[in-house]
Amino acid sequence: MAAIETGGEGSGKKAVNQEIPLIPFIDLLLCCVMFLLATAVWNQLAAMNANQQVPGQASTEDAPPEDEKVRLILQVRNSGYVLGSSAGESIDIKKRVVAEQKEFDVDELETKLAQWKQAWDKRDDLIVAPEDGVRYEDVIRAMDVASAAGFTNLSMADGAAFL
Amino acid sequence: MAIKRPEPELLHHIPLKFVRDRVSGHGRKAVDHQIPLIPFIDFLIVLVIFLLMSFSASGELVAQQPTITMPDAENTEQIEISPIIAVDERVITLDGTRVADTQTQGQSAQVDRIEPLIQGLEAEKRKWETIHPSEPFAGQVIVQADRDIDFRVVKKVMFSAAAAGYGNVSFAVNQRER
Repeated sequence: MAAIETGGEGSGKKAVNQEIPLIPFIDLLLCCVMFLLATAVWNQLAAMNANQQVPGQASTEDAPPEDEKVRLILQVRNSGYVLGSSAGESIDIKKRVVAEQKEFDVDELETKLAQWKQAWDKRDDLIVAPEDGVRYEDVIRAMDVASAAGFTNLSMADGAAFL
Repeated sequence: MAIKRPEPELLHHIPLKFVRDRVSGHGRKAVDHQIPLIPFIDFLIVLVIFLLMSFSASGELVAQQPTITMPDAENTEQIEISPIIAVDERVITLDGTRVADTQTQGQSAQVDRIEPLIQGLEAEKRKWETIHPSEPFAGQVIVQADRDIDFRVVKKVMFSAAAAGYGNVSFAVNQRER
């Protein structure tokens, strides 16, 4: 086994040869490996949170500032995204054609949401309103882009209510 | 005070000639072998470090289901323990119990209540309130849906969850590296 030998038996002095106990050390490492293998999580799962917003529902905050009464809405339609507000603004982001297939223009949405965030810099709330027929993945992508733009307080509403 | 070079010692103390000949070889292949422990320990340490890096103290709250391919997202939060509603191409389940057919829910345009789901969630809510009598109910539910599902189905699930008192929805996603 692993040993450090530094000369003779000591001849009256205390021997300085030492034996490193490798077997218990290997046992400890094997126990660690087994424990970590049993508790390992290979899937990196996470969550995107949203609360459910009924159109016309009052805000839960007490006495909100004047500009917070304006509701900011991101509609996910089959034809593309529509950014709008209850103040009457509306920005239409149509689907683009990529490889002969229509896809949501995520880059344009990122740009428009960044501009919106600059215009409404105190706001972090956004209502996401998907239409029927839209793929779940496209809704999650829109929510992800909105979170990246700084709209972290997301609500979900029925897209049909805003048509 | 020199450090002695390690040498084969197995069976060398036995005072028999044929044993010494056998051990040291003497024309034949020696049977005295050293087990290389140091590389083995190095390998184990590397393995432990790799496993420690992928260790999660919170464990696996949501299991990846073979029938569900979840969407990817970057700006996510950590999953908290809540009832799990799974939506795949065929069925909608609440904590593994089937509550509705996905295709049936996807056909009708009306926002219908999924009664077995509402009843199951209400039972979960009562259970939670019994266990935590002094804490406010968070009303959080995890929706684990396949990425190709029509959002109409997810909307009905959310509507039913809201009817049962679960207003906060966590959409389970695969964490994408930033």
